[in-house]
Amino acid sequence: MATPEQGIDWAGDTGQVSRLRGVAFEVTCLAAVAFALVSVLVLLLYVSADALRPFSADPGWHLVFFLTLVVPSVSAALFYYRRDEPAGEVAYATTGLPVVGVLGAAVFAVVLDIELVTAVEMFALLVSALVAAGIIAAHARYRPRAAAERMAVLFGAPVVTILGVPPAEVTMALNAALSALGLSIEFGVRLLSLREVILLTPVVPLQWIMVALSLTVPVGAVLGGYVARVRANPRAGLAFVGGAVAVSALAPLVGPVVGIGATGWILLVTFCLLPVAVYVEGVIRRREGIAGLTFPLILVGGVVLGALLADLFGFAPPDPWLDWSFLTSAHSRTPAEAGFYPPIVGSVMMLIVIALSTFPVGVGAAIYLEEYAPDSGLAGKFITLVEINIGNLAGVPSVVYGLLGLALFIRVLTMPTGAVMVGGLAIGILILPIVIISAQEAIRAVPDSHREAAYGMGATRWQTTRSVVLPQAIPGILTGTILAVGRAIGETAPLLMIGAASSVRLAPSGFFDQLPAMPRQIFAWSTNLEPEIRHGVLAAGVVTLLVVLLIMNGTAILIRNKYQREV
Amino acid sequence: MTNENMNTAASTETQPSATADPTSEPLVEQSISVDNTSDRTTVDGETVIRSKDLDVFYGETQALQSVSLEIPENQVTAMIGPSGCGKSTFLRCINRMNDLIDVARIDGELTFDGKNVYDEDVDPVALRRRIGMVFQHPNPFPKSIYDNVAYGLRIQNRDVDMDAVVEESLKKAALWDEVKDRLDESALDLSGGQQQRLCIARAIAVDPQVVLMDEPASALDPIATSKIEDLIEDLAEEYTVVIVTHNMQQAARISDTTAVFLTGGELVEFDDTDKIFEDPESQRVEDYITGKFG
Repeated sequence: MATPEQGIDWAGDTGQVSRLRGVAFEVTCLAAVAFALVSVLVLLLYVSADALRPFSADPGWHLVFFLTLVVPSVSAALFYYRRDEPAGEVAYATTGLPVVGVLGAAVFAVVLDIELVTAVEMFALLVSALVAAGIIAAHARYRPRAAAERMAVLFGAPVVTILGVPPAEVTMALNAALSALGLSIEFGVRLLSLREVILLTPVVPLQWIMVALSLTVPVGAVLGGYVARVRANPRAGLAFVGGAVAVSALAPLVGPVVGIGATGWILLVTFCLLPVAVYVEGVIRRREGIAGLTFPLILVGGVVLGALLADLFGFAPPDPWLDWSFLTSAHSRTPAEAGFYPPIVGSVMMLIVIALSTFPVGVGAAIYLEEYAPDSGLAGKFITLVEINIGNLAGVPSVVYGLLGLALFIRVLTMPTGAVMVGGLAIGILILPIVIISAQEAIRAVPDSHREAAYGMGATRWQTTRSVVLPQAIPGILTGTILAVGRAIGETAPLLMIGAASSVRLAPSGFFDQLPAMPRQIFAWSTNLEPEIRHGVLAAGVVTLLVVLLIMNGTAILIRNKYQREV
Repeated sequence: MTNENMNTAASTETQPSATADPTSEPLVEQSISVDNTSDRTTVDGETVIRSKDLDVFYGETQALQSVSLEIPENQVTAMIGPSGCGKSTFLRCINRMNDLIDVARIDGELTFDGKNVYDEDVDPVALRRRIGMVFQHPNPFPKSIYDNVAYGLRIQNRDVDMDAVVEESLKKAALWDEVKDRLDESALDLSGGQQQRLCIARAIAVDPQVVLMDEPASALDPIATSKIEDLIEDLAEEYTVVIVTHNMQQAARISDTTAVFLTGGELVEFDDTDKIFEDPESQRVEDYITGKFG
């Protein structure tokens, strides 16, 4: 094509359209992406290096673990990727499930440890709830037509079995109101609930037995029912439940030996062993990707072998700031003893307050705005104004929300300064607009044709929302909420405004206790006089916070992917 | 704008058509139209739906102009016409789906079984439970096949043998043999034509009196379309079917009565299908049917 033919201006050297500007634009965009990625990566590496101090170990230690852990696991991963993709998925799940299970068990262990809920309270609540459910089910079965009576039973049964008549809180509030009015009458007579009767019983079984009864038995029964269904064999289900009970009964023997105590063993069985057992059973039954089951064994074997070899050769392991004692002890002036346990517990409790306060309000507001609010006329204009301002509220600086929390919850509602509840509510208001907006988007993504189909069938607006819109929108709503909550637990400014203490010795055991929060503790460490705390301990805290965020965002992504596969 | 097809009103029939004497149906034959438009508003058969001088506005735009017609029971009535002529709007007036559009405003009268559906004491939700609807694009819920068909029964708290009704509805919709072994699978795994038959099964599961169909085959391939057409003819034995279609051959094939709407939301001609397609009264209808415009 050296000499283009006469009259052809779309070929040859002169017949090319210049792409110079396009290429320049592409390169600039690529550079922006690279800059963003590299800067985040460098920050993470810098912090992790400070927190984990990998170079404090002997080079030999790294070599040993490289050979026993990294090489086998990477080659296994490559094998799955190249040869056996289902096995790769199985490997991912069998490695991830125990990790998630251990996290769940850890959360429950902390709940029992700080006595947020004691084992006997859990047990009493479960028994009472079961009795209430039994009453409701029996009523539905024997009097299926009495709708009004059903409502009464639906609300009445839990009150009688769980709350008592009248509920203790009502009596307390009533007595408080009476004494405020200057009357010295006290209402002492009330019918105790089943739950309270159990709590009054002077003799209680050992903690691990109560935890086993109130956690392992229900979880085992549900999973056993699942096994019986997928195998179409009730005996398999019974065998599963029997196995669960047998493994639980080992608790007083195995628990202390392993070093986690009988209750720890029960929690581990409930959250880790039983779900993993069900999953492994499924993999073997389907005979697909069985090779993946070896992956966790490779990991555990690599760690054990590496530790043994390093010990044999006398290679010193690294001395990271982020270690077990960091996760289980409170702040100390000595860097080596400083820990993060109270802030982790405090942040998780705050997270519970945030989720419980924002989720119902945010989702309710989003449902109203999307499904019920008028979209034309004067009312429609007002609704548009409201929606625009919800968007604006999402942009209000967090320090302002902290001020609001200070004024509203501490000054007006006289809650204790720096309490878990105050922090959770203040940050809850902060993320409320984000929750509303993301829930609105999830609801809007439900196709109108499904709403029309429901309305065309003669569904009411409520029936359409409940049975058609919400089931499809809930994964999106959850994703948005989890991301917003993840953002929220890193918030620091509102905590400063509501007077959260910089360092708290004890993990809170109630929602009105002093709030130790991860970002607040990190901020306090950043001004500590001890350089090792400013650099090492602080970095360990940052990495812990990032890991928690990573877990939450990962959960959100998992929920989203599951939803996308189903639709 | 003058209403070219303004009809002298037929006397309002207030008693339910089921008990009405077919011979008492008033036939109005005095033409006042200027555009040789037929002024016929009734055909043979007992009337179940009757509209009289029905105007519909979306905001400032008028979508229907003084439409008067009477839809006979247990027959297939087709609405044809070019895009934007108001045929779907008319269909959505019958079960008050237009209520869902804030800016829609309806004047005139539309009676179902002799009761004006726009009366104050009519609950549109209860009305829609008597009048089923099938939409242009198949819109099964992302639930199982069984749950889709059972949906109407569940929301209406019908005390019936759910399994039996689901089976019967799927059989009536000529889908049973294809799905009987996978009722628990997602309805979204079905093909487009199967999905549309599922939507029809869903609509007839609650045993409505009338089934409205808004271009039910326009998103389907010819084979699926012919299955739906066969199905519609079968349905007319039990239900009154009103179908909107773009496809004139389809209307000619399956309908007993045809209403031709033309641009601007006017009903130009309403008559037996054979008459419309062989010897239309209006020149404009003939032009439209023979493909000169539209």
